[in-house]
Amino acid sequence: MNYRVGIDIGGTFTDFALLKDDRIILHKNLSTPEDRSIGVMKGLHTLAEKESMTLSDFLSECDAIVHGTTIADNTLIEMNGAMTGLITTQGFRDEMEYRRGYKEDIWDAALPPFKQITPRRRRLTVPERILFDGSVYLPLDEDAVRHVCLKLKKQNVESVAISLIFSFVNPAHEKRVAEIVREEMPDVHISMSHQVLPRGPEYDRTSTTVVNAYVGPRVTSYLDNLVDRLRNNGYKNQLMVMQASGGVMTKEYIDGSPIRVLASGPAGGVIGSAHTGLAKGYSNLLCVDMGGTSYDMSIVLDGSAPATVGWNIHHRYLVGVPMIQVETLGAGGGSICQIKGGELQVGPRSAGSEPGPICYGRGGTEPTVTDALLMLGILSTETEFAGGSFSLTKAGVEAAFQQLGDQMGYGAEEAAFDCWRVVNANMIQAIRRVTAGKGIDPKEMVMLAYGGNGPAFAGVHADALGIETVLIPKASPTFSALGTLLSKPTIDEERSCIFPVYSPNLDKMKSLWQELAHRSEQYFYNANIQKGKIRFNYLLNMRYSGQNFSISLAMHTSHGSQDYGFLDDKFGEKALHLFNQRHMAEFDHIRETELPEITGVRLVSSADNITPPIGAGFSAPPIKASPFKTRRVNLGEGYADTPIFSGTELRPGHEIKGPAIIEETFTTIVVYPGWKLYVDDYGDYEMKK
Amino acid sequence: MTFELNRKLAAKRPPLPTRADIDPVTASIIRGALETVCFEACTHLGRAASSPIINQSNERNSSIIDSNGRLVVGSVGTPHLTFVTQLTVRYGLMHFKDYDWGPGDVFLGNDPDHGGGHLPDYNVYAPVFDDNGELVLVQALQAHQGDTGGKDPGGFTLEATDIFTEGLAIPCLKLVHRGEKRRDVIHLIERNNRFSTFSGDLAAMIGGVQMAAREHQVLIRKYGTDKIRAALNHSVENTERRFREEIAKWPDGNYKASVFIDADTRGTPDVKVQVTCKVDGDQLTVDLTGTDDRQNLVGVWNTFGNTRGYIMIQLCAMIDPTIPKNEGLFNAVEFIIPEGCIAHPPPNKPAALGSFHPACEITEAVCIALSEIVPERAQPQVYKIGMPNAVIGFYDNGMMWMDQGVDSRSMDASAVKGIDGWGSCPSSLGGLLLSMAEDAEMRFPVLNISREMTTDYGGAGQWRGAPGSLNVKKVLKPVSAMAWMVSAKHPLRGMCGGDDACPYSNHFLVGTKDEYKIELVESTQLPAGSVIAYQHGGGAGFGPAINRDPEAVKEDVLDEYVSIEAARDRYGVVLTGSLDTYDIKVDIEATQALRNKMKSERIEGAIQ
Repeated sequence: MNYRVGIDIGGTFTDFALLKDDRIILHKNLSTPEDRSIGVMKGLHTLAEKESMTLSDFLSECDAIVHGTTIADNTLIEMNGAMTGLITTQGFRDEMEYRRGYKEDIWDAALPPFKQITPRRRRLTVPERILFDGSVYLPLDEDAVRHVCLKLKKQNVESVAISLIFSFVNPAHEKRVAEIVREEMPDVHISMSHQVLPRGPEYDRTSTTVVNAYVGPRVTSYLDNLVDRLRNNGYKNQLMVMQASGGVMTKEYIDGSPIRVLASGPAGGVIGSAHTGLAKGYSNLLCVDMGGTSYDMSIVLDGSAPATVGWNIHHRYLVGVPMIQVETLGAGGGSICQIKGGELQVGPRSAGSEPGPICYGRGGTEPTVTDALLMLGILSTETEFAGGSFSLTKAGVEAAFQQLGDQMGYGAEEAAFDCWRVVNANMIQAIRRVTAGKGIDPKEMVMLAYGGNGPAFAGVHADALGIETVLIPKASPTFSALGTLLSKPTIDEERSCIFPVYSPNLDKMKSLWQELAHRSEQYFYNANIQKGKIRFNYLLNMRYSGQNFSISLAMHTSHGSQDYGFLDDKFGEKALHLFNQRHMAEFDHIRETELPEITGVRLVSSADNITPPIGAGFSAPPIKASPFKTRRVNLGEGYADTPIFSGTELRPGHEIKGPAIIEETFTTIVVYPGWKLYVDDYGDYEMKK
Repeated sequence: MTFELNRKLAAKRPPLPTRADIDPVTASIIRGALETVCFEACTHLGRAASSPIINQSNERNSSIIDSNGRLVVGSVGTPHLTFVTQLTVRYGLMHFKDYDWGPGDVFLGNDPDHGGGHLPDYNVYAPVFDDNGELVLVQALQAHQGDTGGKDPGGFTLEATDIFTEGLAIPCLKLVHRGEKRRDVIHLIERNNRFSTFSGDLAAMIGGVQMAAREHQVLIRKYGTDKIRAALNHSVENTERRFREEIAKWPDGNYKASVFIDADTRGTPDVKVQVTCKVDGDQLTVDLTGTDDRQNLVGVWNTFGNTRGYIMIQLCAMIDPTIPKNEGLFNAVEFIIPEGCIAHPPPNKPAALGSFHPACEITEAVCIALSEIVPERAQPQVYKIGMPNAVIGFYDNGMMWMDQGVDSRSMDASAVKGIDGWGSCPSSLGGLLLSMAEDAEMRFPVLNISREMTTDYGGAGQWRGAPGSLNVKKVLKPVSAMAWMVSAKHPLRGMCGGDDACPYSNHFLVGTKDEYKIELVESTQLPAGSVIAYQHGGGAGFGPAINRDPEAVKEDVLDEYVSIEAARDRYGVVLTGSLDTYDIKVDIEATQALRNKMKSERIEGAIQ
């Protein structure tokens, strides 16, 4: 038997998707914040038990373990990364502190400062200067570099970020600084900005490089640890790691580019959504993932969710590497309901997994969204929760909502209902803001809902947004884990080169693309992926002069070998045409009196992998499903006896008319009044208005 | 266009008539939905605009005004635009009949004498009607335009003595009638702007409010006009109540402050802003009586709308940041702004520079006045820079370029009780993105030599201000350069015994025998290779410097925010060891002795 396991660690639960032949087996257990690999090993243990195997027998039969890790995020949240120093160009010591002027809350004069990874004493400068065209204005002062190394050494620096002005145009000085650092401080981890993020402007590149330097050693040691544990327990293959760009790659690659795993948590779910949507015939999706702590929203257009760059602030630091865009709202099952300034508020504070909602019976005292669902009858104390991990309890729940109700002048049930209304409104507004940012009308999208809590809310949101179709995959509770299995081994990197669109230096561009291609071929080779399996997607970065961010245009793809036939004399014309098209679509205008410039080449190298088959269709004859009981539930129109169905009993062809509730092992699906739910041939759910 | 008009525009507005009751949760859900539409309009503008000041630097704002002219949603963007918007719209509303307002209309206003801020802040707004033809609300978008068609590119003329030097003033102009663009009118507006990107920006603003108006109509149909009005009333009342609850916690009394601008642009020294904040129970009165009213002052005239707005920016910084920003704020405050003073000019005064000074001095004075009673939030929301050094030149093809100098740097981030000044700017400017050397140098023949913080260059205090930066540039081609200096003689003031920030200074032709300091204003031609250097004064301190934790001073020395000498002279902290060896330690006994000595000297000084 050959297994593949996808693992995704969330704030509350660690999710597992086990692929065994054509079957997907789901599991989730509580995350273990003190050492997250404990939760991982515990879950693998359970999966082995489910297969009646020992852990080592099970692991030895695993072809692949794919891991979405939050270690980089946790390092930034807890600020316990490596002792980091920054070497930069004289005159530019303080960009990390200025942050281009950015502050998170313009109304809060008492907003505390961000904690500095590189306080001023460890931000040191060297005389040197390269100009925008790559020419050397001031040669590198090598003695100054050695002096700076001495200062960093005295401060016990473990990791050095090097970011010099215009290094992305001419990296010679940065490379030389790195050589000297290596000589002077042989044991430190080195991050060079022209490798981590080879583009301008200086703050974006420097910040990304500094974060890379800070999280790098932690990411490496966490993965080393996990690999050791897996290996000691019988796992023989490479650990694949999820990247924020939506691809997976070997631990070897991640060791060299640790920043790539930052914010990778939600990426798996988006990849899973795109894949599932396409299989079901839907290419434009609004993906919503509601777990215990957060509500993550993302958009799939034309069947894909390309990784893009932007003003991506993560845990108070700008990170500029390409990422699948996932917007997060602090609204999950654990979000706390409270009255503040006379207004009922839900979230963003969360009860997390410890102590969790009151109804978990683990010591929580503040009412949460999950508690509200229990009050409304959407959840029940009679049903096992999270696959039988535990049962919910009503003790203390009603009293907590009564306390809220006392302040609002009504009873506990009304208070719970209002919490439900408020959290729904928050999520609906958040979706509108996300779609507005992309100029998309949500009405034209299909909603795909997942995460432990997503399917309980999806119908309300779809109603409010005018969406008429909602997909809920059977695997929705651990969909992000499944997504990691669907994600392709991918390396997505860029190199900078600046040319007017009509006179690009094609030879230079070719050599940069070749450099990137050789690099990825090497990593793929080490991952046992042969050259012939690699797909190269050649992207060109362009922008109008003065724009903050470039857009990437797909110029050419080749499969199995590199191919540069597209670099012909029509190249500039084609690039301009594509740019105008995209700029019009994204920004509603093109500049009539200006031409854009080429700012760099980007190469996405990927290889296909074995993916779980996802079927579609409604060929099974319609069957009316029968509920196993009814329960008093309030789905927005007051309490009423509502039929309850068991998810494990439902088969392709089953149809259920709302109002109804379907209890699945790891989730609860609500069919709201006015909606109808269909089980497709593959066992996935589709709700129609 | 009179003081009488300003009185009418500023008059308090009653709640909206409605027959509906509303529960607080529904009210906040409706408010949230309207805020989101506001956000969508702003996002649309940001995406579709083509000039960098809007789509890169985020100098834009979106807000909703109700049919009574009240600001009901002040959603996103730059606070300095948020609180001016409703007066411009109110002027339009006064002409509801004679300007033939109707569904599908879009208007434009920017006139400083008709409720506006300064000319570059264009306010484009669209009324939204329900299906019965009743006006429900107005969606407004504001953005700072790169030019206004006046004498100087950008709209800032140092010697302007009236508004007409600065550009085209528009009280209320219909751009779109019943959904049809008035092309002749739009072409006229476009013609009065130097930059080709302007027409795209104007189109984006029109598109943004039109899109929002459609979204609002959906909400109005869903909830009904009465419910929406009830929700807006609730939201405004809730804000007023929360603001008044904060005021009620402040001790009653008259809190005064005066702040000076070094000089007007013609050199008349010591232009005064005087503020008295009177707290009486839950009522706050902000009184500017005593503010300079010399009619011959040049450049330092802040419009009435802007004065109200800038006072409110500072008040908002000093209350719970989660209070929704709307008319309830204005309902909780009485303004006394004497007619004819520099904070309430007579008609036709220039307005461009006044949005910097005295606008920021008004803000600063409010902050100083309230600093003793709201010390945790007493950060002046200011920019004390006069003007950044703008350099203008021409490409080989004859096209003009302008480096506006809004560069990454540290300026005016003062401390509050408990937190040192940090970042680049005070909080309210934290939504703007400052420009980067690598972007600028790809576009302009300018070399950025340095923009680092200067050691000891900020106000000391129990909590210290962020040190100001020294921005040094070399122009690689001949340029014309403009400068206006303030805050050299009267730098940003410290709070509650904290030290003032340091003086601003500005030098041209640095490193040559002709190097000179700009004392007041400058407008000159610089040859290729000229170096200019702008020293920012940094943020001011909070609380007496000799009360600062000596360990924090030691850390500041290690970070070179503070020198070993200044640690001793300004903070009374004696350190041992050296920066070269990172073994700096506090000499506790010597520090105690020095601080005792400094305290007694200070008392003696006070007695003498």
